[in-house]
Amino acid sequence: MIRILVAVWVLVAMAAAFLAPDAKGFQSPALARIVFFHLPCAFLATGYLFAGSFYAVKFLKGRSAERDETESARKSVAANELGYLFAVLTMVTGILFSYVQWGTWWQWDPRQTSFLMLLLLYSAYFALRSAHGDPDRREVVASAYAVALVLPAVFLIFVFPRLPQIANVSFHPTQTIQQGQFDRNYWTVLLANFFGLLMLSVPLFRLRIRAEALAHRRFGEATGAAARATITRKS
Amino acid sequence: MAISNSNWRAEVGAVFEKEWLVERRARTGWITAGLFGFVAVVAVALAGFGIKLTGSLSAGLLWVVWLFAATVALPRAFVAEEELGTANLLRLSARAHSVYWGKALFNLVQMSAIGLLIAVAYIGLVGAEMRDPALFLISVLGGLAALTGTVTFCSVLVAQAAFRGALVGAIALPMLLPLAALGVSSLRVALGNGFPEAGWQAAVGLVGYATLTFASGPYLFAAVWKS
Amino acid sequence: MLFAANLGKRFGKRWIFRNVSFEAGRGEALVVVGHNGVGKSTLLKCLVGLMSPSEGRVTFPGEDARSAIGYASVEQSLYGHLTAREHLGLFARMRGCPARDDELADKVGLREALDRFVGEFSTGMKGRLRIALAVQPEPSLLVLDEPGAGLDEAGRDVVQKVCEEQRARGVLVVATNDPLERRFGDLELELAG
Repeated sequence: MIRILVAVWVLVAMAAAFLAPDAKGFQSPALARIVFFHLPCAFLATGYLFAGSFYAVKFLKGRSAERDETESARKSVAANELGYLFAVLTMVTGILFSYVQWGTWWQWDPRQTSFLMLLLLYSAYFALRSAHGDPDRREVVASAYAVALVLPAVFLIFVFPRLPQIANVSFHPTQTIQQGQFDRNYWTVLLANFFGLLMLSVPLFRLRIRAEALAHRRFGEATGAAARATITRKS
Repeated sequence: MAISNSNWRAEVGAVFEKEWLVERRARTGWITAGLFGFVAVVAVALAGFGIKLTGSLSAGLLWVVWLFAATVALPRAFVAEEELGTANLLRLSARAHSVYWGKALFNLVQMSAIGLLIAVAYIGLVGAEMRDPALFLISVLGGLAALTGTVTFCSVLVAQAAFRGALVGAIALPMLLPLAALGVSSLRVALGNGFPEAGWQAAVGLVGYATLTFASGPYLFAAVWKS
Repeated sequence: MLFAANLGKRFGKRWIFRNVSFEAGRGEALVVVGHNGVGKSTLLKCLVGLMSPSEGRVTFPGEDARSAIGYASVEQSLYGHLTAREHLGLFARMRGCPARDDELADKVGLREALDRFVGEFSTGMKGRLRIALAVQPEPSLLVLDEPGAGLDEAGRDVVQKVCEEQRARGVLVVATNDPLERRFGDLELELAG
């Protein structure tokens, strides 16, 4: 039932995105509606990436207290994967926006650049994971890296694009969005799409964790015979 | 037997001294990194064909040389321990935080020496204009400290991985990009481009970044070191 | 004093060992035997904390692990660019215990070589230095992995003496397949695949 509701919600929100009136203050107002997908993707990317780091902290803390926090490790990687997916979508929609509004696919706009750097950071996270063969070691190392990523990620998402000397040369319509140049209808459609994507992403997140757990279980079953110990006390 | 009270300073000092003795006698680390830095500076200076570079370009190129010199020189501290099979002796003898600080301090000394050498050679060869020596020094030292903190941490992450030599660059460089952005923003002002306020603001950011790196480094290191 | 409960270690898909449980009290020696590759070294690493077990747990009461546990293994490399005296001095400072370099050198028969670089040492001399480092803090748990490997007759006598001293002080764990060293044990743990 919930699935049907989510599906209906997403369809209505997507339809609304195409039917909504044009936005003001853009070079090509009709095509500004890319924002309906671009902005929710950026929010979700940020949210999931930070959630990935949050679960990484939980995993590492639990581990040092000798608690079984395998679930947190799975949540961390699932959140980072989803975050990465949304970051790529943000990038793609951003490039499309750049082309239709500014006439060029890529122009080293500070926002584009900082998001590209963010993608590189998370690509490095996945490269690091794949370089460790031992699953236990992989989780520890990847979690530590995911926590360390918070500092550069916060800088890239929140600080860098707002530095005065950077913000002044940016074409990114942050001001247009923040200073209420979007009318209420526009915001409603945008939020509807955001919730639609969020509701779509939650089952994906759960599914990914379950897939990881299943892989782990199969992994556990396929291990064959282990050495057994017999202990004898000499008289 | 009475075991003396845990003494952090003695412990960190012993790790530092071990690094110092081994690296001084082995020499390969210093020579490789120093030579790499110098060759890179000469290559950059040659590529300029004697054209007078702007402060921004000089700062950017200097940072590129530093980034690569750091990823060549610093990972040795942990990678060599794993490759030679001595890491476990250290794991059993010293607490994780002492290992981190001993190694990080040694790396800081090493990176400061190599980084300053590169900076002096670069400015001498390229003939960059020095407008604000104080800002230059703070920017260089803050930048090198933050570089050291980040690369030291990354090198322990890859020390046991496959293809660690290339991997350390792949995972450290993206983490260093925001740092490089701040570093270039302040260094370009010291070398004659942009507004002084912006330069100092970036330098403060750089020092803050370095502080945060060193404040969080030991805790993350401890989680990874013993496993 | 030393407890292991249901220890298991897995590398990737393969379980090395499972359900290993024992306890050894002060004055007792546990000898771990089993053919090559069965997991003796891995078990010892789990005991000293160099590896975390995939399941189960090891408990060794209180104290600072740096000075309470001594460990020597044939796999353990030393720093070729440091002398034996520097090894003993630096690691004593890290562990917060007295260096006792001359005394330990006498004990393991390295007196003449104390100021030579370890890079110039033979296999047997390195083995002796590893034992000196392991017993330096007078640990309450001493774990030796193939202690006699590469040692000559005199070296084996050193091992025997060190093992006897340890039994008087605390717990001793030795992994070996050497019939002579097997005699040290009050308890024998056999790992079989």
